[in-house]
Amino acid sequence: MPVFQIDGEPVEYEPGEKVLSAALRCGKIIPHYCYHPGMSIVATCRMCLVDVIDLGNGRPAPKLQTACSVDATEGMKIETFNQKVEEGRKLVNEFLLINHPLDCPICDQSGECTLQDYSFKYGSGKSEMDYSKRVNGWRDIGTFVALERNRCIQCSRCDRFTREITGTNEFGMFNRGHELAVDTYTDRPMTNKFQGNMADICPVGAITEKEFRFKRRVWKLKKNHSICTGCSTGCNVTIEHDRNEVFRLKPHENQNVNKWWLCDEGRLTYRKMNEKKSRINQPLGLIGENLEGISWEKAYGAIAERIRELKPLPQEVLALTDTHASNEELFLIQKLLKEGFSSENIFCPFPTWEQSESDFFINTLITTDKTPNRAGALALHIKGDQKNKKLKKVIEGELKVVFVLGNPFENELEFKEIIKRTQLVIHIGVFHNSWSEMADVVLPGQFYSEKEGTYTNKNQRVQSTEIAVKALRRTRPEWQIISELSQALGHKSSFESIPQVFNAMALEAKAFTGISFDKIGGLGIELTKNTKDPGKKVVPEMTAI
Amino acid sequence: MLEETLVLFKNIRNPKYDKSLAGYKKTGGFKSLKKVFGMKPEEVVQEVKESGVRGRGGAGFPTGLKWSFMAKGTGKPSYLVANADESEPGTCKDRELMLKDPHLFLEGLMIGSYAVGCHHAYVYVRGEFFPAIKTLNAAVDELYADGLLGHDPLGSGFNLDITIHTGAGAYICGEETALLDSLEGKRGQPRVKPPFPAVSGFNGCPTSVNNVETLACLPFIFSDGGVESFKSFGPQNNSGTHLVSLSGHVNSPGVYELRMDVSMKDIIYEIGGGILNGKKLKGVIPGGSSSPVMKADEIDVLYNFDDLAKIGSMMGSAAMMVFDEDTDVVKLLHRITRFYAHESCGQCTPCREGTHWSRQIVRDFLNGNGSEEKLKRLDRVGGNMLGTTLCALGDAAALPIQSFVNKFPEEFRNYYATT
Repeated sequence: MPVFQIDGEPVEYEPGEKVLSAALRCGKIIPHYCYHPGMSIVATCRMCLVDVIDLGNGRPAPKLQTACSVDATEGMKIETFNQKVEEGRKLVNEFLLINHPLDCPICDQSGECTLQDYSFKYGSGKSEMDYSKRVNGWRDIGTFVALERNRCIQCSRCDRFTREITGTNEFGMFNRGHELAVDTYTDRPMTNKFQGNMADICPVGAITEKEFRFKRRVWKLKKNHSICTGCSTGCNVTIEHDRNEVFRLKPHENQNVNKWWLCDEGRLTYRKMNEKKSRINQPLGLIGENLEGISWEKAYGAIAERIRELKPLPQEVLALTDTHASNEELFLIQKLLKEGFSSENIFCPFPTWEQSESDFFINTLITTDKTPNRAGALALHIKGDQKNKKLKKVIEGELKVVFVLGNPFENELEFKEIIKRTQLVIHIGVFHNSWSEMADVVLPGQFYSEKEGTYTNKNQRVQSTEIAVKALRRTRPEWQIISELSQALGHKSSFESIPQVFNAMALEAKAFTGISFDKIGGLGIELTKNTKDPGKKVVPEMTAI
Repeated sequence: MLEETLVLFKNIRNPKYDKSLAGYKKTGGFKSLKKVFGMKPEEVVQEVKESGVRGRGGAGFPTGLKWSFMAKGTGKPSYLVANADESEPGTCKDRELMLKDPHLFLEGLMIGSYAVGCHHAYVYVRGEFFPAIKTLNAAVDELYADGLLGHDPLGSGFNLDITIHTGAGAYICGEETALLDSLEGKRGQPRVKPPFPAVSGFNGCPTSVNNVETLACLPFIFSDGGVESFKSFGPQNNSGTHLVSLSGHVNSPGVYELRMDVSMKDIIYEIGGGILNGKKLKGVIPGGSSSPVMKADEIDVLYNFDDLAKIGSMMGSAAMMVFDEDTDVVKLLHRITRFYAHESCGQCTPCREGTHWSRQIVRDFLNGNGSEEKLKRLDRVGGNMLGTTLCALGDAAALPIQSFVNKFPEEFRNYYATT
């Protein structure tokens, strides 16, 4: 790749690349507002001024250039820090601040506001503006985001977002000059499903998420990398939490999955992480007529004893799982059945699902498959079909032991009726549901924000999650529960950690061959052997403006 | 006595001239076009380069050179757009041409289209020019009826259509990239350059945007012996005649066609007939409101691109605004800053904030709230807009502010000394 110089250091660039893009890729800091790598270049904020001391032909540029719009050329020399540049930035910063309300103490963006950061870093700290500031007022633009136009610095990122990223065009710039303001067309509320991104890309507090407003100062939030489990796309997110309470999900850049974006529906899944009422908070066992709290040891002991009594044949054991479970959990429960009962009766639901097909990439982020790991279940050859034919056959036979992981086959009441009559039903799950009501033993699991795990998305990309918040005291991650359960049943294999389970899975399951846990990294890794994708491509309906 | 040199105005100055197609043809019209159709497009561009004609819209960029930058072999159509969005305060030359001799301009447009290989030329007319729009539309209809436009005019095998498009009244749409955005039906805002319109202009195709007066020069350049006589009208690098819109406190304001080797003093005192009511001259805005102001003792200079640039001003669109000793310079600057604050498109920071702020400061002086500190601040705000904006409007707003403050500081001081 050809090379140019920034502050005397060589920086590689792709032909046709702009200076700012190459600089950011190499970790150089050049302040900017209007530039966003996913959208067109407008060069209007004028903050990314740099001094081109050599255009590549030995001559300097006559004046400061905006790094976002200057093509990098071989032999070019750029200075991002000298007196000229600093003065240029100072004056742009002054212009940006003269009409900004400076209401940082009550602004939700405060702490993650680039205007605030750059003003501290590059600004002069004083203003000579002694007239009343421009007032554009707030606008109610819909349910998801709030628009406070006084804080706006007219970078037009939001405008370009609806034009170039969602293609919905409901947002625009109005008036001109000093009165330039953003708003929705004809006072209609926003309709697109990705409004939260507008709050993300807004460099100031003009657009903020209504869901997050006035809840926490952002500098108090701790961040953990994870993935969104709202659908099978598996968008990369950071879970932002404080004092064991999750406050929001923010997209995390991953060019192979979601680029910079996340849908509003995915953002709202954070509510489930704070759900306490319907959580199962300790192991439960059927004593007499009622489920009562018992210790873990007692639960395992009771299960082992009961299974020894029943002595089930392979066809008399059944495991049902949903695809919210991680790869490791699916693998372990499959292993449990295989090693403990020589049974392969493990089923998960495989309904038909739809996948958007659109010229606008962002529309393809939402699928109708609302579970994160169906592709993982497919890769592990967990059984199931669209009409549950095979499962029906198994259920209609004699059943003695049923394991239920999560909340599978939620609406198949017929199955539930039959399974209810089984002698031993073990439910491993996070929330109370109809399975936990009929179970003989209930083992409390942990939500995906509370445990580690890997998930396989619709494009066969394996991605991992971190522990973000602390789980309830008497719950355990599902993989650990299954591992301990199999030990209680007297099986050999025992696992201590997720990487260990994953690496064991890589050895045993063909689809994961050649992948180790270390290779997943922050961005995930694609399975080499692609399994068949049952998704149906549909063109989304255009939202009328 | 200084007199006009009639090239562009040779028909207009004839009181008996009939501006219809038949009348234009009688004066030898469309002979040049016929000659051009016999040449290769590259030869036409070369000839225009040779003539040294510079863009009359304000920047003074050599037209032939601009055309030679047009991307070739891209597989996309090329476009020629005539910039008739004449909005620079003080300028009224293109309106005269379009209104009184539309076929001269249209012939120039056709020559230009042939040179750049454009098969659909656009004329972007300022929306307020209702009579000019009417005249142009009628003229284009005449050309179609005569077979000079459309399929195969004059048996040349070159197809050409012309569309007259009216603007919606924004000053910024006179900036070439904003004009193209507006022509595409978008909000008229200047684009980032590069890519220049010659590479990616109208609808992403190679485009050349030329001023009406520039195009109107072409029929003369391609007449017999045109290039040589065109060059002889002015000093080196400033060839041809140009239209000067003379306005303000002079006895006979108007649009005059002059050679480029005439001094400003002569224009004001001989062509303009001196200052109104026999008063003294205070200053001149030499090239439209965006050019730096000149004081009375600076006007002994040749009125062309290079000589004015040498003394730190610019000829711009050759709109000379003269003001006498009784003019209130602060009020004048307030009017100018108000104009730019109103016309800034607002997309880039220094211009959006700076034009409005400077207007507020000048207004302070008028309200008796001026101070030495504010005078310095006004100069600084103007300077901060200079050279930091996306398009030239920031510079256009900054140059008059700086020049007024630096050349007439005592006028500003009078405002707060007396109150």
